Amino acid sequence: MKKIAIYIAIFRTQLINSMAYPADLFSRSFMMIIFMWVFFQLWQVTYAAGGQTAIAGLTLADTLWYLMIAETVLLSKPRLGRDIARQVKDGSIAYLLNKPYNFLLYQLSVSLGESLMRMAVNLVFGGAVVWALVGPPPHPAALPLTLAAILIAWTLDFCIVALIALAAFVLEDVSAFEWIYSKMVLVLGGVLIPLDFFPVWLRNLSLALPFAYTTYVPGRLFIDPSLENTVRLMGAQLAWLALLAVALSLVFARGMRRLAINGG
Amino acid sequence: MESIRVTELVKDFETRVKQPGLRGSLRALARPEKRIVHAVRSISFQMETGELVGFIGPNGAGKSTTIKILTGILHPTGGEAEVLGFVPWTDRRKLAYRIGTVFGQRPQLWYHLPAVDTFHLFGKIYEQDDAEVKKRIALLAEAFEIGHLLETPVRKLSLGQRMRCEVAASLIHKPSLLLLDEPSIGLDVVAKQRIRDTIREMNQIDGVGVLLTSHDAGDIEALCKRVIIINHGVIIYQDRVSALKRNYLTTKQVDVRYAAEVPADFALEGVETLKVGRYGAKLRFDVRETPVEKVIASLAGRGSLVDVTISDPSLEEVIRTIYQADGAAGAAA
Repeated sequence: MKKIAIYIAIFRTQLINSMAYPADLFSRSFMMIIFMWVFFQLWQVTYAAGGQTAIAGLTLADTLWYLMIAETVLLSKPRLGRDIARQVKDGSIAYLLNKPYNFLLYQLSVSLGESLMRMAVNLVFGGAVVWALVGPPPHPAALPLTLAAILIAWTLDFCIVALIALAAFVLEDVSAFEWIYSKMVLVLGGVLIPLDFFPVWLRNLSLALPFAYTTYVPGRLFIDPSLENTVRLMGAQLAWLALLAVALSLVFARGMRRLAINGG
Repeated sequence: MESIRVTELVKDFETRVKQPGLRGSLRALARPEKRIVHAVRSISFQMETGELVGFIGPNGAGKSTTIKILTGILHPTGGEAEVLGFVPWTDRRKLAYRIGTVFGQRPQLWYHLPAVDTFHLFGKIYEQDDAEVKKRIALLAEAFEIGHLLETPVRKLSLGQRMRCEVAASLIHKPSLLLLDEPSIGLDVVAKQRIRDTIREMNQIDGVGVLLTSHDAGDIEALCKRVIIINHGVIIYQDRVSALKRNYLTTKQVDVRYAAEVPADFALEGVETLKVGRYGAKLRFDVRETPVEKVIASLAGRGSLVDVTISDPSLEEVIRTIYQADGAAGAAA
């Protein structure tokens, strides 16, 4: 239990840290308002042009509430990958190893601590705008489930980002891979368009890749928290998380050996 | 009791090298060329429990590499080391509970938070009892005179204040050994003095041993009983500081400036004139032959003084002297 207390303390410290500049926190969330307003205009026209009240089973309200959650998940994440890659590249990662904690869990705690406050503000701003535009969310009671899915999504995202960053041990510069990953999330993660609107083959491809589980799942569960959906989507989320967490710890152990022998 | 024992420690790195230009880049891409860097060639020393030891040498001498090996971050290529009974690179985490580290160029306090928040976080990380941590913070706040700074965000502190907080943070978990890598880097004279005082005080209160690296011979002179000088990965001098002083830190340089023009003749027995200007001069003398008092009195008698600076030879000069002695001994042998 004491070990968990360490990471809770780190998380808590970063949470306090993220509140050091409230003006910055709120001005970032201003983007949410703009995004949601743009999405509303875009999809309102699309729905009107098709003359439909639902596309692939989603109403305009569903779509906007989905996008609000997906944007929140994406915009609240810190740019941790860049930091770790830099620490690997210039060798300063060594200085973070002088304390008796697990480096990866330390970074994860920092990452979650930083995301939480931003998420709260983004949810409030984004939620208020969407509510004003299309009315209340279809399943408000799904919020706790959604938050759980967001937590898994962020942890999964952390694994991918950290894996890419640790590749800097070998590749030195990994910014290209970071760029590719962020674009994959935008498209195949369903941040711009809900995966439900994709042609079947593309949707199936997206669901077979890990990107959707870092963004799509929380939003989808928020608008449709059926048991079937929950088991299927969250189960896949957890399976990816388990796989990538194992991969990450193996790669990290290798990286540490390399650092110990070669000095980074 | 020994707290550190290092025997014939060796550390080689492999670095990639690239020929200049586009052709070089392409060649490096196809067939990476590697070169071995000998960061530490063969270092042996011991340190007693509670001892204050200075570890000095120029950039790239191998100081930080040695410290990193002693904290368990790096594996050595050869040789043995034991710190507080642990082999650092196999028992890194266990060792981490017993040592404190400060890297002058890598702050560990959270920049946007008051130092006390980091202190409490470290208390948790090192699994200390909350009540104990409170007591410890009170003790450190008094010893380091940082009580009034603890509630201020670290980014608003001066460099000297921040460094005192850094050292205090590294002592939260009552380590038996403190490894300080360049704790006085970038500090002004007063701040340096305070850091030295607090380190000495903690050594007395807690009995914590200190291994300190520095560029600044003054740090070592003020703090340490024993000094190890390394260059190019080997120890070139290892003895008591008093012996180093007796043998090498014997000359002082004086820069003096007057309000009005003074005669150019600064000749004084036992004082060497390095440079003479219309309003002042630069002189050097050996304190074993000429007392400081005598030189200053003579200078003051010449006119109305505006400024006098007395400085020790730089560490580089000391090392050069030791090197020359070393080279001469080698040639004679």
